[in-house]
Amino acid sequence: MKMNRKLTWMLLFGIATLFTQCKDSGDEVEVDDENELITSVTLKFTESGTNTVTSFSYKDPDGDGGNAPTKFDTISLKANTSYTLAVEFLDESKTPVDNITEEIAEKSDEHLLVYTPNPTSLLTYTYGDKDKNNYPIGLTGTAKAGVAGTGKLKVQLRHQPNAKNGTPGPGSDDVNLDFNLKVK
Amino acid sequence: MKKYFFLLLTLTAISLGHAQNPTCACFIRGIVKDQHSGQPVVGATVLLIGKNTGVFTDDKGRYEIRNLCPGTYQLEARIVGYSAYKQTIDLTAGHEENFNLQEQEVHLKDVEITAHRTDAPSSQPLTILSGNDLEQTRGQALGESLKGITGVTAMQTGSSISKPVIHGLHSNRVLIMNNGVRQEGQQWGSEHAPEIDPFVATRMSVIKGAAGVRYGSDAIGGVILVEPEELPFNKTLSGEVNLVGFSNGRQGVASSTLQGGVKGFSGFAWRAQGTIKRGGNIRTSNYFLDNTGISEKNFSVGAGYRKKGFGIDLFYSRFDTKIGIFSGSHIGSVTDLLNVIKNGEPFVKSGFSYKIGRPNQNVTHDLLKAETHYHFKDGNRLQWTIAQQINNRNEYDLHVPRNDSIASLNHPELTFKLHTLTNDVIWDHKPIAGKISGQIGVSTLYQYNLMTGRPLIPNFNQFNIGIFWIERYVKNDWEFEAGARYDYRTLNTHRIVSRKKVSNDFTFSNGSGTIGATRNFSPNLSARLNAGTAWRAPNVSELFSDGVHHGAAAFEKGDSTLHSEKALNTIASVKYASEKLTIEIGGYYNYIKDFIYLKPQPDPILTVRGAFPYFKYTQTDASFKGIDVSAAWQFVKNLTITSKLSYLRAYDKRNDSYLVMIPANRLDNQLKYELPELGKWHNLYFSAGNLWVTHQKRVPPASDFLPPPAAYSLWNIQAGGTIHVSEKQQLEVRISVTNLFNTVYRDYMNRFRYYADDIGRNASLRIKWKFGA
Repeated sequence: MKMNRKLTWMLLFGIATLFTQCKDSGDEVEVDDENELITSVTLKFTESGTNTVTSFSYKDPDGDGGNAPTKFDTISLKANTSYTLAVEFLDESKTPVDNITEEIAEKSDEHLLVYTPNPTSLLTYTYGDKDKNNYPIGLTGTAKAGVAGTGKLKVQLRHQPNAKNGTPGPGSDDVNLDFNLKVK
Repeated sequence: MKKYFFLLLTLTAISLGHAQNPTCACFIRGIVKDQHSGQPVVGATVLLIGKNTGVFTDDKGRYEIRNLCPGTYQLEARIVGYSAYKQTIDLTAGHEENFNLQEQEVHLKDVEITAHRTDAPSSQPLTILSGNDLEQTRGQALGESLKGITGVTAMQTGSSISKPVIHGLHSNRVLIMNNGVRQEGQQWGSEHAPEIDPFVATRMSVIKGAAGVRYGSDAIGGVILVEPEELPFNKTLSGEVNLVGFSNGRQGVASSTLQGGVKGFSGFAWRAQGTIKRGGNIRTSNYFLDNTGISEKNFSVGAGYRKKGFGIDLFYSRFDTKIGIFSGSHIGSVTDLLNVIKNGEPFVKSGFSYKIGRPNQNVTHDLLKAETHYHFKDGNRLQWTIAQQINNRNEYDLHVPRNDSIASLNHPELTFKLHTLTNDVIWDHKPIAGKISGQIGVSTLYQYNLMTGRPLIPNFNQFNIGIFWIERYVKNDWEFEAGARYDYRTLNTHRIVSRKKVSNDFTFSNGSGTIGATRNFSPNLSARLNAGTAWRAPNVSELFSDGVHHGAAAFEKGDSTLHSEKALNTIASVKYASEKLTIEIGGYYNYIKDFIYLKPQPDPILTVRGAFPYFKYTQTDASFKGIDVSAAWQFVKNLTITSKLSYLRAYDKRNDSYLVMIPANRLDNQLKYELPELGKWHNLYFSAGNLWVTHQKRVPPASDFLPPPAAYSLWNIQAGGTIHVSEKQQLEVRISVTNLFNTVYRDYMNRFRYYADDIGRNASLRIKWKFGA
């Protein structure tokens, strides 16, 4: 029985050790940022030959879930007019605001922007930039508004690490937004 | 929590011959006793493995199996409440003539049986996977190993992540008892496989149906018991080495065990065990799946001490795995998913590689357990088990952060650290009038979770206390059982909402009950009936999910007002076992009140990656009813056909609809030819089989991107045998081919069915070398 008692004490000691490891999980809640988060997408249309910039945005400051997107503009363009189109991606959930556009530009060989108007007669997009492998990027380009009408402009940011080949196929969507498009 | 009740049983095996039949008139008879009490064990099943012959012990604990041919037999004694015991008996030994011609004792051996109690409710069906059936699954993941049991299927994420499904229920609705401790990992995730090395176990048992009284929360669909062999007290050094190779994934597994006692320190025993697994890309019938390799390194050590009625066991195990997730399963938007579905095969092409890159999961699980028990002289028994588990899960997304300096750190995007401390005290009272036995127990669980990375589930602290009482009454051919339990749980969650900490407190409480009866009509025929309840508190992901589930292309939102779900399960089974024929038919009706599920919402949720279908955790009343049939018939000498049918219908009662992710019905047929001896080989067998899985037609309309896949039929072949190298060494060799014809198929329960076909042909070779006692 002496042995038993010793072992029992050992067990008790063991439990005491175990309990000292318990902690309050509430003390360790940290604000952790999603590295891939994009909360704001802004399309900046500059009418050719002018300095007139019109911007259209999608904004969801708290990211997916939580509150609904606060802004999702309808793109409004003049018929038969040419624009320089620049796109800006921000993560506004962070302080300071994280400029994702710069990060995309740095990793331009992994990203491709795809602009798909529907119907196609509304707009024609021409890429204005190229990555080191001579594939288009789409951070800047020319958008030529076509005939008057309404429809959609799908803006996709394709993330294509080690797979970019100039086509939208490889990779997955980081952004996939259907802006309403009005050409008048 | 489950405990070990190390009991010594004495089994005497005598084989005698009769003159009437010169070839097959041997019999084995003996008595099964509980060595601690010395009382005969009534109603124990004594089986001849592989012969489909079994008898029950009578009221004096005696059994007799007649009409045996000379040969080597594996005798197994199974007692409800105890683990099975196996003994190899040689009825040849050069005595054929003698014992065939006259009544003469040719084999008499006292066998000490050391069994541990499983505490399974006696009136609930318990299916055990051990011996050759278990050996044939060596090298596979836990969820895969159990698929051969009727009523058990698997939910898969590709081929490397597999979760057991019992009667259509899984994850938090199936409880796994790993070496007597409830397994606490991140069970809520459908791609979170049980963190257990099956090589630790020498038997795995499945209790089907709600078993909440004995095992506490989560035991709604059933309980899986993963049990190692009893430590080798008073035995010499022994061990085994297992080598397994799979052609698909070019996977290799090596596992070995060494165990023994210590000279000059009687009553002491130890065991050490380790497993290494490495595999590369899995191949479907037509193409490889990129990044589907696996790497696993596990080990466990155990030691124990016994003296008179006292016993103590210490056990530590570590499970460490790195699993690549098929890179083609990463999708950004619904468009991505629809494109890959339309394409019919993955866009990501790959050859063979062992490389495991992103996306991947790295998971470790540590279990430290101490268990002590004491048998009082008067028959009372007290047991105390404490265990600590640390589950560390790191998930790496396909894409590293865009920012180079952050990316170079290569941090996981999701980290979960779950610490669990369990404590169980169980008192078995001394039998009353030799007819009533029972136990009273208190179980506590303390748990905390720390989460970093992309917000997914909150941090939480959880405390649970449960008190139960079960009594069992045995009279003649009847056995009755009744029990009750009360659980109380607190949950405190802490999460960040709009950059501020928000804490929520929850309390849950629940009463559970079980009542059941077993009737042995004859040594061949028995029936069981059980009605039991179980409960489960909503888990943190059901309470607080709020985001896109990228594997499922769905926006999932939790509901913090959910309450506990409660199951009432009625299960009945009839078993007939004779020498040539074994049939077990079971039927169940599991009614789950406030069943928590993801309900599709009418409007999609808009995110920067486009609109996602919106699902909200909601409660309904669900019914799961089904039939399990298994039959084995030796229709010609040495030739046995085995059939297993699992039939299930699940229904959403409140909405008059079906439920999603319910396994399709299936029929498994095997034809097996056995040769007890051929040259140097023993227990040779050859078998061929077919698994037919039907099309799951019963799904709610418009609930999925892709309708359930078509029915499929897979063929397989196996062969194996044992060579006795020397008296104390034997070599077991097994070969098998699954998906023999390289059939293209997809399974409804595989979450990768959207992206790719299921695994193609897979040939395997298993070698086991056993040495020592």
